[in-house]
Amino acid sequence: MKGDRERKRTFMLITIPILALFICFNTLPLIKGFIYSFTNFKGYGSYDWVGARNYVDLFTDGRVGRSYLFTFKYAIVGTILTNVISLVIALGLNSKIKGKSVLRGIYFIPNVLGGLVIGYIFSFFFTYILPVVGQSLGIEALSSSMLSSTSQAWIAIVIVGCWQAIAMNTIIYISGLQTVPEDIYEAGAIDGVTGWRKFKDLTFPLIIPFFGINMVLSMKNFLMVFDQVMALTKGGPAQSTESISYLIYNNGMSGGQFGFQSANAFLFFVTIVVISVVQMTITNKKEEQL
Amino acid sequence: MKSNMKTAGSFLLAGILASAALLSGCGEDTADGKTVVEIVQYKPEAVKAFEALEEKFNATHDNIKLVIDSPNDAMTIIKTRFVREDFPDIIGIGGDINYSNFLDADMLMDVSDYSGLSDIKESYLRIDKELEFIPTEGVYAVPYMANAAGVLYNREMFKENGWKIPETLDEFYALCEDIQKKGIQPLYFGFKDTWTCLAPWNAIAVDVADSTICAQVNAGTAKFADEYRPVAEITQSLLQYAQPDPFAYSYNDACTAFARGESAMYVIGSYAVAQIKSANPDIDIDSFVFPASNNKDENVLNSGNDLQWSVMAGNEEKKDAIYEVLDFLYDDENIQIYLDDQSAVPCKKGDFELPSMLDGMKPFIEADRMADYQDHHYPSEMAVDAMIQTYLLDTSATATDTFLEKFDTDWVRYNRDLIAKVQKYYAENPEELSEGGN
Amino acid sequence: MMSKGNKQTRAVNWPVTILLIAGCLTIFFPLYMAFIIAMKQPSEMTNNIAGALSFPQTWSLANFREAMQVTDFWNSLGNSLLITVVTVVISIILHGMAGYAIGRSMKQSKIYNIIYMFIVSGMFVPFAILMMPLVKQTAQMGIANRFGVILLYVVFYMPLNVMLYRGYLSNIPIAIEEAARVDGASTWKIYWTIIFPMMKPMHATVAVLTAMSTWNDVMTPLVIMSGTGKNTLPLAQLNFQTQFGTNYNLAFASYILALIPILLFYIVCQKQIINGVANGAVK
Repeated sequence: MKGDRERKRTFMLITIPILALFICFNTLPLIKGFIYSFTNFKGYGSYDWVGARNYVDLFTDGRVGRSYLFTFKYAIVGTILTNVISLVIALGLNSKIKGKSVLRGIYFIPNVLGGLVIGYIFSFFFTYILPVVGQSLGIEALSSSMLSSTSQAWIAIVIVGCWQAIAMNTIIYISGLQTVPEDIYEAGAIDGVTGWRKFKDLTFPLIIPFFGINMVLSMKNFLMVFDQVMALTKGGPAQSTESISYLIYNNGMSGGQFGFQSANAFLFFVTIVVISVVQMTITNKKEEQL
Repeated sequence: MKSNMKTAGSFLLAGILASAALLSGCGEDTADGKTVVEIVQYKPEAVKAFEALEEKFNATHDNIKLVIDSPNDAMTIIKTRFVREDFPDIIGIGGDINYSNFLDADMLMDVSDYSGLSDIKESYLRIDKELEFIPTEGVYAVPYMANAAGVLYNREMFKENGWKIPETLDEFYALCEDIQKKGIQPLYFGFKDTWTCLAPWNAIAVDVADSTICAQVNAGTAKFADEYRPVAEITQSLLQYAQPDPFAYSYNDACTAFARGESAMYVIGSYAVAQIKSANPDIDIDSFVFPASNNKDENVLNSGNDLQWSVMAGNEEKKDAIYEVLDFLYDDENIQIYLDDQSAVPCKKGDFELPSMLDGMKPFIEADRMADYQDHHYPSEMAVDAMIQTYLLDTSATATDTFLEKFDTDWVRYNRDLIAKVQKYYAENPEELSEGGN
Repeated sequence: MMSKGNKQTRAVNWPVTILLIAGCLTIFFPLYMAFIIAMKQPSEMTNNIAGALSFPQTWSLANFREAMQVTDFWNSLGNSLLITVVTVVISIILHGMAGYAIGRSMKQSKIYNIIYMFIVSGMFVPFAILMMPLVKQTAQMGIANRFGVILLYVVFYMPLNVMLYRGYLSNIPIAIEEAARVDGASTWKIYWTIIFPMMKPMHATVAVLTAMSTWNDVMTPLVIMSGTGKNTLPLAQLNFQTQFGTNYNLAFASYILALIPILLFYIVCQKQIINGVANGAVK
């Protein structure tokens, strides 16, 4: 077609400056950070080159290893729970209900509450309220604070993490559901398709791009967990809830391990990219199949 | 069509640039011929006192303009300003590992010719000396305010029951037993906030461990496992007098509990008093030195520099103005302005009115019998506080051995470069080593 | 508009409504606690359930007033609003264009596929590794101020927003554009007159997500704007936390105040998200 060249040129002219901006404030500093990962830089003052020592250390440091274990356990459980629940809520909020605006507004609130509020309220809940409930119901596992138990503290963080993350994923699912035209349902209704089958065969295939976005996004957000850890446990008890981001921030920024934690951050970045590429390839394939 | 796009594009660009100019337009004002001295200090809670001091200074000085900044999260801000090479003239920070690091990075100026140094209490100057990784000629910090840690107690409750201040470890245990028998909780801990684990640890360490142990380990002449065993054991022994599951409660919970009379004592520093009083303004708090040793004479007060002034390197030209500012800050009247706002122990010699909750510690302060918080020597990334929490949660018989062993190995791991540097220094200057630790 | 008529005929789904309202309890309870604490005095705070959940001794807005004073509320709010609004507007303009250009080219061109992956992967860069270099870079470029913060946000949110726009566009058939191209419209014009309005629900979603992240962010303004004397609301809230003490009552009052503008913004935007259905007519 005659307009093809014009179209290509326009796309290029749009893409290049935006890409330049992105490289300038994302890629460039990332490369600088990567360079720091070969030093013993503290974040200020002078530093020495240490070669690949930081990377060698990463693989021998038990604390880093445990933080990866915790973070992945947390992220996998969190991502699944959040996506299931927020999809259900989004379907609900998108159906014919009373007080739609109000309800949508309410389900949005958890995401905008600050860390201090979350930390105080949920610490109070886990320390003072839940044990009382557990004791009165005679449930052994709940009769003491989850936050002081090395085996349960991560679950408490999952609960709070999901509670907050659901809002954002719900918004994305809702906007995804808007792209599903009504007539599809009408056609479906004629065929007598309802309930679970309606969702599985009609709705879900059409929102797969959004499912893909949400999976990647919540996986990423859960993997980068920091606020909830800071608010609830500060890595405790007994360092059982130290997430990767927690180590990167605390030891790299507040502590003097900037170089080492840059190496950690870089490794972490590569890890998440690999995971996300796999996730996206899977959802893209699904998308193409339909 | 192309031109159409170009115009739109240039509009967008122009818009962005214009807003850039607009937003960056608000620059700093230059003082008219005055020397500007800028202080960044890290205690935002004292912002009112420093605003008053700043105003007073500027009203009485024509040639110098003093700017005191008390930002939130000041350590992050100070460090990012260093990265930006936008150095303040004076930084007001605590005497802790950050000071050691800044000094080690050659960022601070020698102020040994500052005349006010002779008025500062010896202990606090010594504490700063001990914070040097490598013995350094000169003085790089002027201590301003100190805090103290030990045991806070509910004075009213003690009076009612006739309990006496313990002076030895055995007396302390006996007191706890006594309190328990009365059906009162002796101690309350907020170990959910890991940093509070360091409060008893530090207070015990000053009595039973060598204050220069960290420097000795760095020099390769000692091991923590030997020096810290009693510290660890005594810290652990306190758990039997604490509320059940102290790891479920935060610092704030513990402050509130103590404020509401749920425990008779609270092993923490004087810095917690403000938080406690906010929960119960009427509580009468006093304090005593933690008696970790059974030899009375070995027990000393755990006190460290809470706020000290360091001049940034490269300020030689401005030195006179900076010293004038310091002179002003150390004026007795102005120290009192700070003390009226914040409960603290001034590092300057002289007769200042100490807050009443330090009554029990006063003899030690007056006799200059003090030693620094051990954790001021710990690199924060090593997370000694979390290690202590892990240790206290460990109920196995070998807990202490595991913990002490980990302490030594982790110390070497986190201080690798520093240890290499220190040992190289002592290899070159063996005579320094024989003079002991520092 | 057929769908509208159809909607009215569908009955209210009461079971779902009731379930959703029940679900709200998990949000109301923490909110109730936050509100009660914001009303109380520090001396009313207790360590037990009854004390924590009981009403304050007196109902007064004194905490809110004091919180507004401590945070210099109106100035901080102004800065937060300025940064958020400008970030959102630039994001919608730039990211929408980028999502369109990249999304529409990905099928034909490998390079655009790579560019897309490259930009999206930027989402996974931990801020901590960028922080120090960015602090230095913005200072050298003379943009260690509100403008720099906005610019950084525009870059930080680019990956997610481009991803969202691209996802939305994949549901808009290319045939719509082709009709306009036959009429001789330029791609630029097609975007602004046809595609941009059609993406309205996605603009609203992008606006909400971008605004939310911008509004709540502490770290970027803290490290970039420190020393300019300008505060944003989340920065000002650090006032209530010092090393050895936190005034939860004032802090909670302040957080509730900071929550209101963004909540209102969301409610306005989500109407846009729903109104987007009308555009379904094109399909």
